[in-house]
Amino acid sequence: MRTSRTAIVLCAVLAAACKKSNQTEGAPSGGTAPAGQTSAAAPAPGGDAIRIGATLPLTGAESRIGGFYKEGYDLAFEEATKNGGVDVGGKKMPVQLTLLDDTSTQATAASLADRLINSDKVHFLLGTYATNLVEAQSVVAEQNQIPYVNGGGAATAIYKRGYKWVFGLLAPVELLAEAIMKWVDAQQQAGKLPKPATIALLWENTSHGKDFRKGVTEFANKGGNYKIVVDESFELNGKDFSALLGKVKAANADMFLADAHLPDYITMQRQYVTAGMCHKIQSYGARGSEKQAAEALTPKNVQYIVSAVWWSSLLADKNPEAKRFVDLFKAKYGGRAPEWYQALGYETARALFVAITQAGSLDREAIRAKLAGLKIPSLLPGGELTFPAEFGQQSHAPFVAQQNLPDGTSPIIAPPDAATGKGVAPNPGCAK
Amino acid sequence: MKFRRPPWVKPRAVIGLLVVCAVLAIGPLLHSDVYIHNLLTLTFIGIAAALAWNWLGGYVGQVSFGHAAMFGVGGFVSAQLELKLGFPMLIAWVSGGVIAGLFSLIWGHPTLRLRGPYFSIATIGVGEATRLVGTYWDWFTGGSSGLSLPMHHNLKFTLYWYALGLAAIAMAMSYALRRSSVGLSLLAIKSDVDAASDVGVSATRLQDLVLFLSGAMIGVCGASYGSYFSYIEPGDMFGFDRSISWVLTGVIGGIGTIAGPALGAVIFVLLRQYLIASYPQLYLGLYGILLVLVILFEPLGLTGLAMRVLHRARPDLAVTGVAGED
Amino acid sequence: MRHFKRVVGLKLSRIVELIINSVLLAGLYATMAYGLGLIYGVLRIVNLAHGGVIMAGAYAGWYLHELGVDPYLSLVPVGVASFFLGVVMYRGLVYRLPRGAAGGVQSLLLLFGLWLILRNIAYLLFTGNDQTLRTGYSTKAVTLAGELVSVNRMAVFAVAILILIILHILLTQTYVGKAIRAVAQNPDSCTLVGIRVERIYSLTFGLGTALAAIAGLLGATLFPFNPGFGSSELLKSFVVVVLGGLGSVAGTAIAALILAVAEVFPTAIPGFPTYLTAAVGFVLLVLVLVLRPGGLFGQRVLG
Repeated sequence: MRTSRTAIVLCAVLAAACKKSNQTEGAPSGGTAPAGQTSAAAPAPGGDAIRIGATLPLTGAESRIGGFYKEGYDLAFEEATKNGGVDVGGKKMPVQLTLLDDTSTQATAASLADRLINSDKVHFLLGTYATNLVEAQSVVAEQNQIPYVNGGGAATAIYKRGYKWVFGLLAPVELLAEAIMKWVDAQQQAGKLPKPATIALLWENTSHGKDFRKGVTEFANKGGNYKIVVDESFELNGKDFSALLGKVKAANADMFLADAHLPDYITMQRQYVTAGMCHKIQSYGARGSEKQAAEALTPKNVQYIVSAVWWSSLLADKNPEAKRFVDLFKAKYGGRAPEWYQALGYETARALFVAITQAGSLDREAIRAKLAGLKIPSLLPGGELTFPAEFGQQSHAPFVAQQNLPDGTSPIIAPPDAATGKGVAPNPGCAK
Repeated sequence: MKFRRPPWVKPRAVIGLLVVCAVLAIGPLLHSDVYIHNLLTLTFIGIAAALAWNWLGGYVGQVSFGHAAMFGVGGFVSAQLELKLGFPMLIAWVSGGVIAGLFSLIWGHPTLRLRGPYFSIATIGVGEATRLVGTYWDWFTGGSSGLSLPMHHNLKFTLYWYALGLAAIAMAMSYALRRSSVGLSLLAIKSDVDAASDVGVSATRLQDLVLFLSGAMIGVCGASYGSYFSYIEPGDMFGFDRSISWVLTGVIGGIGTIAGPALGAVIFVLLRQYLIASYPQLYLGLYGILLVLVILFEPLGLTGLAMRVLHRARPDLAVTGVAGED
Repeated sequence: MRHFKRVVGLKLSRIVELIINSVLLAGLYATMAYGLGLIYGVLRIVNLAHGGVIMAGAYAGWYLHELGVDPYLSLVPVGVASFFLGVVMYRGLVYRLPRGAAGGVQSLLLLFGLWLILRNIAYLLFTGNDQTLRTGYSTKAVTLAGELVSVNRMAVFAVAILILIILHILLTQTYVGKAIRAVAQNPDSCTLVGIRVERIYSLTFGLGTALAAIAGLLGATLFPFNPGFGSSELLKSFVVVVLGGLGSVAGTAIAALILAVAEVFPTAIPGFPTYLTAAVGFVLLVLVLVLRPGGLFGQRVLG
């Protein structure tokens, strides 16, 4: 009696599991928010559409940013569809995006890339977001010799491996650190910072963080005008930074420079404010001006934070490509202004489309060659996108530094030719 | 010199293993689906690891929640040997495995004196401490970003046969460890350490031996996993989820049985691959449900279930191949 | 030795700050650990679902807060609800295990399965995204002994102390509490004197579960969380319980303080990477298990 009951129960569970997975293979629908989805023009099944695969962190630690990149991808695919498809050798072909959720974990991002290439048979891959995920995923693309264009991996480690099939739109984090330090240096020249100025430097222990650390350290050691008094790493997606911040507080430095991704930035800044800390200059590397952060922390608690980013919607004034994108984005998303995440997502997909058109075929090698030699007007600062071979096919477009001001804006404060406002240093909010 | 078969080796088992391996070995020549090919490679590695976990968790009865520590040590040692010293892949795997085995002795020798839940708790601590230190030591693991291994042409394709060999070795060892006289001593240790020592079973030495073998095999699995992905990262290699996957495959497949964990591993890998694209988080929950059902109704898991069904169909096959759970 | 001198040579204000941090952290750790210790002390069961309940408590508090309830007000309803959840868990699952196996690896695995299920329910309901419970006083701080201290952390500490006092009174002054302690010491003779042992077991399991959920709610006011939340909390609870000897109130409090000090003070050692402070507890766990399996204060049961 008991045996049969057990057998039935176990079988039922297994059957339910298999049934469920089969269902989701076909049509992902229902209440539990399936992650896999296909968007843009619906071509005849198995017909001659250009199949492009991508994963993004749609859930997990980086889910917010993953959603931003998705907006960028969606916009690019929608635009291509409106134009009747992507021009391939004089014939318009529809583009189809298969987007999966890599849950912000490296192993999943890598397995899904394998699945997209070998099971879903996509022609090309677009990258996921966050350096550590791109670092894991790009290996699979290289193994399978499939063009992989990403706008989410910035660390030089990704591009120093000599890969042929991986292209990056984000300029290296080292240059990001340098962009911040150059502005800091200008403030010091103007007598707004002590000489030498002390730095508390915190970096996430990823290639991203290590690049940041390298950039700051090299700049600081060059002239002898800076002294690094705290130099510590922290775990990506940490929960409690209070011990680390205690150490920073005790060091009593002039500047607080950290390299953190958005979730860690929010967590750390919250604990920073609670501990009553304040520095003459504060930066979280590329993070700082996000609307989410201001909402999570209240605008008052993020003011005067300096950040350097790969793009800003303020570039639209001087760059026609940027303006075109901002208008397009606002039209689709109800007037909301895009941040650099959406812009890079859009531009990543567009770069691939342009290369396909230039190649005039879907031949992987031809498109790889076109990407390697790509030189197009772009929404990026500097107005041009290339993947220079000497940097391992990583774009070296310049950065723009921006600062959160009390009125809620984040004007570009450097470099001078792109600036839309003046930076403030030292932080007037620090009492005492 | 003529090889003499020890009495505990049943010809039927040897032939069975050889036939299965032969079929799987020529399988890829008959189809050209890369995706299935890769999936099977991963499954073989999963089988080898699940069996190795079972030597300690099932045969000795010490349930480890920290075996990912050895998976990671094996993987990163092997990767570094390949990257820094240019070791050939197989030698790097074996070296990684040996070092992982030795590492397991460092913490295992003292903690194996603890029994039951105490040992399990200690292994959770070991696993997490190893993960944290591993992530911190970026000279060893590359930090949260991990390491990229050299990419050899066609390596991923040929790894299928390496992984199959690994699974076959693990299966043969599972059989040997259970059926030889060592297996009897382990059973004695599992039911009562003190009594076993009284009748002359060297409990400490045997447990250490099994732990070493288990840790070393898991280490080799970690190394082969690294070669498979050409990229390893400490959060994944040392992760708690990885440790618990072996607890799940072992218990659900049939803890302490010879082939049960292999069955558990097959289901685990396949179910995970099915669910990962649409419901990336769901597979662990399904396994949780299975685990609860197994514990409540069927202590020997799917193997026990299969045995009972077979037993009913053919009473002459009564539960012979399965070592009883206490 | 040189490091030691440099620690001693720290500025007084830094030491005061470290002490305050340790004590506040210890309050949270003690709350997290007590539920685990209570269940082990009485039922001899290692409740691996503890981490899952901590996570569930965090989500319950967060959800109620989204509806407009202050997290500190929701302590009581969340505690009561999770008490019944615990009773159901015991009667529905743990109780069904073959006797004798309940205290061993089987119950450990069963409750571990339950934890996975809880985690997945949270994934399905709330996705895997990080959530934070933000209140108007989340970033408020007051000055205490010359140091800025977060209001929220102090509130968490106050609740922790309150819970420990209530527990102590419950266990030593009331009939139920005395029965719990008696069952912990010798269930067989309790049956003889007419204590309904199974009922006490259900009650204890409920109580332990309620404490875990409350700890999770308190933790949620301090840290971001997701369905994976609770695993490192579970581990820290183990450390505290093992250090303090399973099931003793005072032992738990002292052990929580030891763990907190062991995690906080190394940050003052120059050259010691802050990154590794989280590993200190786990090393401590293994060492204590191996060297003093009965805990630092001996094997006292609910004293």
